[in-house]
Amino acid sequence: MTKKTDLSVTFCGKKMPNPFMLSSSPVSNSAEMIERAFEAGWGGVAYKSMVTDNISIPHPSPRMHAYHYGEKRLAGLQNVEQTSDRGLKPNLLDIAYLKKRWPGRVIMASIMGFSNSEWADLAKACSDAGADMLELNFSCPHMTVEGSGCKVGQAHDLVEKFTATVRKVTGIPLVAKMTPNIADMNEPALAAKRGGADAISAINTVKGISEIGLDDLIPRPDVFGKGAISGYSGPAVKPIALRFMAEMAQNPELGLPLSGMGGIETWVDALEFILAGATTVQVTTGVIHYGYRIVEDMIEGLSDYMALRGVEAVGDLVGKALPRLHETGAFDVKRQGVAAYDLDRCVGCGQCYIVCRDAGGQALDWDAKKRRPRQTQDKCLSCMICSFVCPVTGLISFKEMPRGWKRRETVTLGR
Amino acid sequence: MTVSNDLGGMEEGGFDLDTATAEAGRCLLCEDPPCSKGCPAKTDPGAFIRKLRFRNITGAIRTVKENNILGGACGVLCPTARLCEKDCNAKWVDRPIRIGKVQRFLMEHAWATGFKVFGGKVFEKPARRPGKVAVVGAGPAGLSCAAELAKHGHRVTVFEARPEPGGVLRYGVPAFRFETAFLKKELEDLKDLGVELKCSSPVAEKGAAERLLADGYDAVFLATGLWNPERLPGTRKEPGGLFTSMDFLAALRQGRRKELAKSFKGKACAVLGGGSVAIDCARVALRLGSRDVYLLYRRSCSQMPAEEDEKNQALREGVHFILLSQPVGYVADARGRLAGVRLVRTRLGAEDSSGRRKPVELKGSEWTLEVSAAVEAIGYKPVDGSQDWYPSVAVRQGGLIRADEDDCRTSAKGIFAGGDIIRGPDLVVRAVQDGKTAAGSILQYLGEKATTRPGERCLARKP
Ligand SMILES: Cc1cc2nc3c(=O)[nH]c(=O)nc-3n(C[C@H](O)[C@H](O)[C@H](O)COP(=O)(O)OP(=O)(O)OC[C@H]3O[C@@H](n4cnc5c(N)ncnc54)[C@H](O)[C@@H]3O)c2cc1C
Ligand SMILES: Cc1cc2nc3c(=O)[nH]c(=O)nc-3n(C[C@H](O)[C@H](O)[C@H](O)COP(=O)(O)O)c2cc1C
Ligand code: SF4
Repeated sequence: MTKKTDLSVTFCGKKMPNPFMLSSSPVSNSAEMIERAFEAGWGGVAYKSMVTDNISIPHPSPRMHAYHYGEKRLAGLQNVEQTSDRGLKPNLLDIAYLKKRWPGRVIMASIMGFSNSEWADLAKACSDAGADMLELNFSCPHMTVEGSGCKVGQAHDLVEKFTATVRKVTGIPLVAKMTPNIADMNEPALAAKRGGADAISAINTVKGISEIGLDDLIPRPDVFGKGAISGYSGPAVKPIALRFMAEMAQNPELGLPLSGMGGIETWVDALEFILAGATTVQVTTGVIHYGYRIVEDMIEGLSDYMALRGVEAVGDLVGKALPRLHETGAFDVKRQGVAAYDLDRCVGCGQCYIVCRDAGGQALDWDAKKRRPRQTQDKCLSCMICSFVCPVTGLISFKEMPRGWKRRETVTLGR
Repeated sequence: MTVSNDLGGMEEGGFDLDTATAEAGRCLLCEDPPCSKGCPAKTDPGAFIRKLRFRNITGAIRTVKENNILGGACGVLCPTARLCEKDCNAKWVDRPIRIGKVQRFLMEHAWATGFKVFGGKVFEKPARRPGKVAVVGAGPAGLSCAAELAKHGHRVTVFEARPEPGGVLRYGVPAFRFETAFLKKELEDLKDLGVELKCSSPVAEKGAAERLLADGYDAVFLATGLWNPERLPGTRKEPGGLFTSMDFLAALRQGRRKELAKSFKGKACAVLGGGSVAIDCARVALRLGSRDVYLLYRRSCSQMPAEEDEKNQALREGVHFILLSQPVGYVADARGRLAGVRLVRTRLGAEDSSGRRKPVELKGSEWTLEVSAAVEAIGYKPVDGSQDWYPSVAVRQGGLIRADEDDCRTSAKGIFAGGDIIRGPDLVVRAVQDGKTAAGSILQYLGEKATTRPGERCLARKP
């Protein structure tokens, strides 16, 4: 029988069976949906962001646009979605239902207010409904009113103020959700901490334009002739999200638990966030692309990884890559290497030759008869771009050269 | 097209991680995947392809292996075009996912990376159970049953007549399609599961199966396969150079290639039959260096039971198909060596019981095809007298054991049977499923046995 690995984590004092959560979005829109997600194995949920019933926020139509890259579908996803489609009341009833039916899973209610009193009302209502914790949405990129959405996240005093407001009305843990549309996430995160936040979640969507129609000249999504800069998510944003994760995790002054998201689809992505400092991870676009079922592979993949490496608890992995993350200035540049070729497996496409010639060190010659590259080793810059385009993984690998090995100077044509 | 003359190893390469990932990338990740309904052994390609896609490779390997201890063999040998790949929805976009090859890749990847489903750090040994089961025959059916019972903690001993395990996989299928090294790696899992394998141990005396029960085994699974070749009727004296497919292929897998080459190299030869085994024999003959290989079949090409891709492959490699021709006898030279095959032309008449139009011999059309070697590949049946090994077990006319494929129970209490010995010539994957079905029935039987006190009749039997 397969060994059962314990994937449970404790986040803000709440234990959950695994670190995998749905992030606040259409994938967590109702109890009916979330219940199916729990059945599939998700450990918790950030419920779709709720606002008060004071104002109605109608949705643009269509709401989303896909960014396909070559034959790959949904490398990124752009959306102009607003907060929950549903009224506050039905959402609160759903939260209460979920809490009763699924006491072992974490229900985090995401809220967004437009004033101090709205933040307080929402926080109180959600706590009363039984939410385990609150996610304060300081990061929605589609709010045009000053003092709302990511406009709050960009103004640190507002982050502190609203967090403090919420802190006053409820005792349950507060998770402040950050926008990546800033230069330094530590500043708003620290402001949230000052306001009384218990944890930080990030990232919300990155502002972007995914595509422009060439016939109609309309940036997408085409909302009846108009486009807008709006939230971009999915695999394409993962490196950006990981960066913010690590920067906050490395900041001793912050010292809050983190919930990471942005482009997670597989257990490998999830584990990278954990290694960069996240205690829990959240997913939207992966579910929009494939459905709740992807959590099965996250659970099995992470379980096997831990069993094979003898790791006992997910918590032991949190931030484990951080000691190896440095400023570029810390590199030992005396150590140098080259791209090494295992030509037995070469298929003869010549892409390495093209990119080395036009973007690398001109270190390759092309043997047209044999259809093989020939490397002049001391011209290799070790940029490794040849290995990125090579269709055979591992054919081109990095090899360290002995100390004192010197690279040839690039030819100068001018005088 | 020239063919390789290396008969020692598999000719068709497998996927590597890049190509397997690319292939998995084409999968549509269907709802209610049709591929997962097409496997006689209940393999779930929809799940293992998805797992590969989501980088859960260990999980993908587990999905295959836990369900089918011979997942690698099936990945290589299954006629996937009419099983899992038949209804693959990717064919409406482009072409079906090559599911068999992805499955084979997963097994080879496990071996290459040292990942074990039934051993190592991700496996928890099952609690020991008291059952003790004897399996007769280490072919796909026997091995699959043994693995399944061992997974449940029972002690299993496999008795195999031949020196090595594998059945047809070891002594039948030519190595250019399925090599011994691959089989050995696949069988590691049985070792990990603690299955005891006794080779060169035939269970072939009168009443031998019943004796196993008397000797303390709680149940017996008979999976002896078909090791008796059908013969062309009316051949009185065997000319030199005439082989049965069984002897021919077994000799090859026993390393007697040089000896065989003497009869085939540079010569014309004939293979009688139109099934997969006949195609295998013809392709081996080519690889032994035959100048001309004639496949003799009494019906039309479309009626040949061999798989489409096998037929095409044989034709491409240069096998000559002589269709609508019924072999009726042999011609020998003065020294008793084969000189030719006598053939009668046929035409197709009315449908027979198999639903195919029946060949009718054309009077006066007999002719002789000059060949100096021939292989008869016209079917397999149970060994003569094999029912004496298990006299309490009811058999059909012809010797096949009477057992329902739904439960693999025989007429004798405590004796179960599966694989070719209950079905007639069939597929590896069906033998694997029989092994699992039988294991299920045996588990049930052991449970019944344990809860049935002596003298008490066993009533409980789940519907
Ligand atoms: C040449 C050839 C090619 C084939 N190619 C394919 C293919 O490509 N794909 C596919 O799906 N199927 C193929 N088949 C069919 C497939 O091999 C069989 O359906 C399958 O092997 C049946 O499994 P089994 O376990 O019932 O029997 P077997 O494989 O026949 O195994 C029976 C075992 O029992 C042993 N045994 C017999 N009597 C005794 C005894 N008294 N005591 C102890 N041991 C005994 C035998 O030595 C043997 O090891 C092929 C068959 C042949 C002959
Ligand atoms: C259609 C859509 C709607 C979203 N709605 C919300 C929301 O209401 N509240 C919120 O905090 N984040 C919202 N998000 C952001 C996601 O929760 C998440 O932070 C972001 O998409 C990055 O993760 P991903 O790459 O896994 O999608 C939304 C994202 C999408 C794609
Ligand atoms: S039927 Fe084909 S496309 Fe659909 S899940 Fe199975 S392999 Fe993938």
